[in-house]
Amino acid sequence: MRFKILLIIFFLSLNINLYSNELVEESKIHKNLRCLVCQGQSIADSNSDFALTLKMVVKDLIDQGKTEAEIYSFLSDKYGDWILYKPKINQGNLLLWGLPYLALIIGGVIIVFLIRKSSKKA
Amino acid sequence: MLSNTGNFLLFINIFLSFLIIYNSFKCLKIKNNLIFKNIYQISLLQSTLILICFFTLTSAFIVSDFSLITVYQNSHSLKPLFYKISGTWGNHEGSLLLWVIILTIFSFLFLIYNKNHPKNYRLHTLIIQNLLILGFLLFIIFNSNPFSSINPIPKEGLGLNPILQDPALAIHPPLLYIGFVGSSIYFSAAMASMISNYSGSLFAQSIKSWVLISWIFQTLGILVGSIWAYYELGWGGFWFWDPVENASLLPWFAMTALLHSLLVLEKRNTLYFWTIILCLMTFTLSVTGTFLVRSGILNSVHTFANDPSRGIYILVFLSLMIFASIYFLFSKYKPTNDLINSNSKETFVLINNWFMMFYLITVLLGTLYPIFTDAISDNKISVGPPFYNSVIIPVVIAFLFFMAIGPQAKWIKNKFSNLRSILLILSGAIIINFAIVYFLKSYSLISNLILISSLFLIMSSIFDFFKQSKLSFPRIVSHLSFGFLILFIGLNHNFSVEKDFNLKLGEAKKIDDYEFALLDLKLSQENNYKAVVGKLEVNNSNTMKRRVLYPEIRIYDNPQTLTYEASIQTNFLGDHYLTMSNIDRSEYYNIKFQHKPLMIWIWISVLLLSFGGFLSLFKNAKNN
Repeated sequence: MRFKILLIIFFLSLNINLYSNELVEESKIHKNLRCLVCQGQSIADSNSDFALTLKMVVKDLIDQGKTEAEIYSFLSDKYGDWILYKPKINQGNLLLWGLPYLALIIGGVIIVFLIRKSSKKA
Repeated sequence: MLSNTGNFLLFINIFLSFLIIYNSFKCLKIKNNLIFKNIYQISLLQSTLILICFFTLTSAFIVSDFSLITVYQNSHSLKPLFYKISGTWGNHEGSLLLWVIILTIFSFLFLIYNKNHPKNYRLHTLIIQNLLILGFLLFIIFNSNPFSSINPIPKEGLGLNPILQDPALAIHPPLLYIGFVGSSIYFSAAMASMISNYSGSLFAQSIKSWVLISWIFQTLGILVGSIWAYYELGWGGFWFWDPVENASLLPWFAMTALLHSLLVLEKRNTLYFWTIILCLMTFTLSVTGTFLVRSGILNSVHTFANDPSRGIYILVFLSLMIFASIYFLFSKYKPTNDLINSNSKETFVLINNWFMMFYLITVLLGTLYPIFTDAISDNKISVGPPFYNSVIIPVVIAFLFFMAIGPQAKWIKNKFSNLRSILLILSGAIIINFAIVYFLKSYSLISNLILISSLFLIMSSIFDFFKQSKLSFPRIVSHLSFGFLILFIGLNHNFSVEKDFNLKLGEAKKIDDYEFALLDLKLSQENNYKAVVGKLEVNNSNTMKRRVLYPEIRIYDNPQTLTYEASIQTNFLGDHYLTMSNIDRSEYYNIKFQHKPLMIWIWISVLLLSFGGFLSLFKNAKNN
């Protein structure tokens, strides 16, 4: 019974946020776009002319009703993938996205294997 | 004059390193357990002379001796004394000298503090450490000599990059260097351990303090660098997943893993080769980091010192190190009987290592991948914060749970009789999280889980504090503060407020709960810069609080640079952070305002984390 109450509380806390995620977050998009004329800054952190212009472009695109993904693909077509801080998940970046998790799985398998081996000996 | 003194001392040091290596080999041939007295003496002399060498450079900076290229390029006679001194290591050449100092002093200290360990092991450590010292001394002399002179002597120096003229950044390099150059000593010890067949728990004991020391300083170094980036770069963030920051984080992951696996080696005499690999990996990653930073192949906000020719030398050195490590690992590897029972402390240490390796691989891959894609294809990609956040954060949740449960397990075999209390703590965590969500604001699923897991770790650690013996106090402090660190980062991330807008003098603007007004702009003339100081009033209609902040736009003279100084008001609940910058061809100023809750607690958590390491070091010193 107590467990059920806990579960309900847990899911309640998850549900509260359902409304907030529907909006396209402008600042989140800004943080994912590299300021191409700066050194390692996103356009959210920069106030170069380039960053200011790009912020206006993003605002326009949002007003046109574009989704986050559409905005990214529009900008990367224009400026190249260099502009996106979060690389696309595609064939070229398979290793980048896949290898960490692959390592995680392999590590887990090694540990399980070690424990199995030890328990047989014991 | 100072140039000659410095060069002379460098050459003497090279000679002394050779002498130590020669004497060590001679001493190895003799069949007793005594080390020649002259080896101690030469080591002491070597440490003393390298310090004098460093002070020679410092004094050149203090008296502004521009006959040295390094001083000419990085100093200015009008610079405050404090920054003249910190300028010694605020550049590539000087920092390499600092690097060698740490290599040398650690070498000497390791020699004198391990007298109860066998001669062969100690001498081999000394030999390998001196090979490292030689490598860096040669690098200094042939490529990056801080004592190179310039003719004709310039009348005035070029000055130090103003954003480096900062107290935090003055102490940041020494701290970080003790961290990752300090790891050289257990690189050497690990090699020596394989060569002299000195393995097991005694080996673990001999390096434990050194791992702790380097870990503490690495942690503090990262902290200070992060604080600096927070107030100096003016973006209000404290971690940017920037390649240079990653370079300092990579050895930290390896060190943290090592710190834990060392416990298993010490107590249970297993995992020897894995521990050796971690020892070798830590220093290798430190040198890799240096290579990435100094060679200039990375695009980073922190790139202050780079030059391709340095890169090639470090790359050759690094390859030799890796090659030697792999060679010895393969030739000395023996399959061992690593008995690991499920539910034992050993398993949880392995789980810690497992996650550390995951973080390490992710960050390493993210840092290097853009370089490779750029080299192999024309496709230039960026890997930034959104990548790391989305790959790492979900995994951290599981990590925190293991971190809470792990320490309760016993060595060898354990039964989980305390499942009830775990569930109880978990319920507590979920309820507190619900309260936070309910009373404050909504946030995403991942944030919920991060908060629950960090609360779980915090509460478990507090329970541990009352249940377990005093001996585990250092560990509890570190685990507890790590829990707090993640909790505060999570809360900070979720409840930050950011406003970005343009304002002109005399204008006021209302955005949501806040009202901003640019009341005044003042020109001020300081010692080495001019500044435009804004006076901004921030009213919060919710809390009815009124604040006045004074952001600055600074124009430094030498070298001519424009910087934006954030105005920050800190209190225990959060920071109010404001930067102002001019917009070209306009009377408007761009204002970035941020409210960052619990900022100071993030710093305090990291400080406590390293304090836990310090306590552990203290405990270890008392036991031995």
